[in-house]
Amino acid sequence: MPAGRALRRAGTQSQFERDQALLERIGWSRIEANEKRRLRRNFWVAFGFMAPAVALVSGLLLAPVVYNIYLSFTKWKRFKGLDEFAGAANYERLSTHRLFGDALYNTSLWVVASIIFPLAIGFGLAIFLRGVVLENTFKSVIFLPRILAPTAVGVIWFYVYAPDGVINRLLSLVAGGKVDIGFLYEENTVTPAIIATFVWQTVGLVMVLILLGLAAIPKDPLEAARIDGATRWQVFRSIVMPLLLPTILVVTILSVLSGFTVFDLLWIMGAANPELRTLSLAVFMYFEAFQKGSWAYGSAIAVIIGVVVLSVTWIQALLQHRVEKMTK
Amino acid sequence: MAVSIDDLDLDRLAAKERKLGAGSSLKFVFAVFIGAIWIVPFYYLIVSIFKTTEQYSLNHPLSLPTGVAPFLTNAIDAWVTAKMGAGLLNSTLYGLVGAGLAVFFAAMASYGLSRIDFKRKNFWFMLIFAGTVFPFQMYLIPLFFGYQKAGIINTQFGMLLVYTAICIPFPTLVLKNYMNGLSREMDEAARMDGAREFTVFWRIVLPNCKGPITATFLLQFTWIWNDLLFSTVLANRTETRSIMNALQVFQGSYSSTGPNVVLTATIIATVPSVLLFFLLRRHFMEGMRISSL
Repeated sequence: MPAGRALRRAGTQSQFERDQALLERIGWSRIEANEKRRLRRNFWVAFGFMAPAVALVSGLLLAPVVYNIYLSFTKWKRFKGLDEFAGAANYERLSTHRLFGDALYNTSLWVVASIIFPLAIGFGLAIFLRGVVLENTFKSVIFLPRILAPTAVGVIWFYVYAPDGVINRLLSLVAGGKVDIGFLYEENTVTPAIIATFVWQTVGLVMVLILLGLAAIPKDPLEAARIDGATRWQVFRSIVMPLLLPTILVVTILSVLSGFTVFDLLWIMGAANPELRTLSLAVFMYFEAFQKGSWAYGSAIAVIIGVVVLSVTWIQALLQHRVEKMTK
Repeated sequence: MAVSIDDLDLDRLAAKERKLGAGSSLKFVFAVFIGAIWIVPFYYLIVSIFKTTEQYSLNHPLSLPTGVAPFLTNAIDAWVTAKMGAGLLNSTLYGLVGAGLAVFFAAMASYGLSRIDFKRKNFWFMLIFAGTVFPFQMYLIPLFFGYQKAGIINTQFGMLLVYTAICIPFPTLVLKNYMNGLSREMDEAARMDGAREFTVFWRIVLPNCKGPITATFLLQFTWIWNDLLFSTVLANRTETRSIMNALQVFQGSYSSTGPNVVLTATIIATVPSVLLFFLLRRHFMEGMRISSL
């Protein structure tokens, strides 16, 4: 402000002092105090509204998480109770546990499969079914399993995979002789079989989400590119893919998180498998804690699951940030 | 835009059409094949519940049943042995009260977070929203201990408590965003007229949120109805367990009963939520759409 500067140079009151005087005259300090009081009073009103939610969430969800982390560093004494600090002993013991290794291996199969299959198949279906006669009927049929409980889906597929069940009968028909594969009883078929059921149930939603994403893409640039002589593949790669990236990201993260923590399907379909506990970390944790009573051990596995889930969520946030920047 | 002379060649056009037609019928055949992968398990489920155990084990799993009468015997058998009555009642209670309370508390919190001015709003929102970040496995052991200490393990109250808590964060996110978009003029007018804060919430804001409230309620109700994990850990008793837990126990320990009876139990356990879905389909799709954003 040139006028102010000129005044200050002239040796009169500084800008700051004059501002203070002005504020004094209009009673600013009172206004400020009132405003502070209003915000404080508002806080208590708002807190009244938030109290039930805050109490339930922190009491039943957040406090248990903290306690779980603490438990994972303690040693469980069967008759004395918990609370003997044990450092990282639980984690060290875990890392050499053979069954833990198996569970970890199967869980990583789940993660890889739930990144690839739902997306690839959902995408393929979304594009393939376009323009087919009875298009919407096919889409509804594929979406149908999504509205069933995972437990119900598990029960149905438990019998579909059974030794004399639908799949073995159909395979016998194709092969000509009698096929009798114990899909859920053998170590190397049980995980792929349950993953197939998981994909069967979840791919419908993935397809619908991709269709929504595709529908949101403006048609003009596509037509312009086609007229300019771009091939179908070029249009897909340079226009459709980048615009679909946010959808793909969300879909992938949703599948990975649900695939990583899946419990119901494994619990139902793996029930016949002697190595049930190694089918995933979630099941392994349940076994250690609630069937064997190794609480501290179980809580260490829960922490490991938590760390992985949090990292995936964190990566998602990073990627989403980048994608948003790209599309803006 | 230049018109290519080829496009005007009618013979060529006809050939193209024919080729397209052949392609699309081939596509249709393939689509039917794919559709079969999804429809056959359902078909299998439906035909199985109309067979007696003997018919089931002697015939091809996909063969048509001879009559509908066995369904009744299967249903009664399943209902009695699996004690499905208790399970259905419990799940209805947990679903209605749990999801209802959760959405109501979430709406209250959202009102505080979106329509009242105060400092550090973000902190309070993140505190509630943090409830969706952790995997359920991290809650189980502490909840089990805590429930044992408090004496609410294997009680309906305990189950309602945990279901309500788990179902709060997501509706809070949805409703807060929705309420942010509502105009504040009505609130101010009501406050001028001397309405108390709760009246503004109850009479003005809440009635304007019917859409998202229905959508989130249905989503949370279905989640509670379908839950197996928490019931297995915290309420593994006939009197308190959820319907999915009853189904799992039935399938696990009574497998000698015959798949036809277990599959009938599956139908009974699923029909309520599936009916709800078809009756309120629009709201469900809305809920699924917002849950992926």
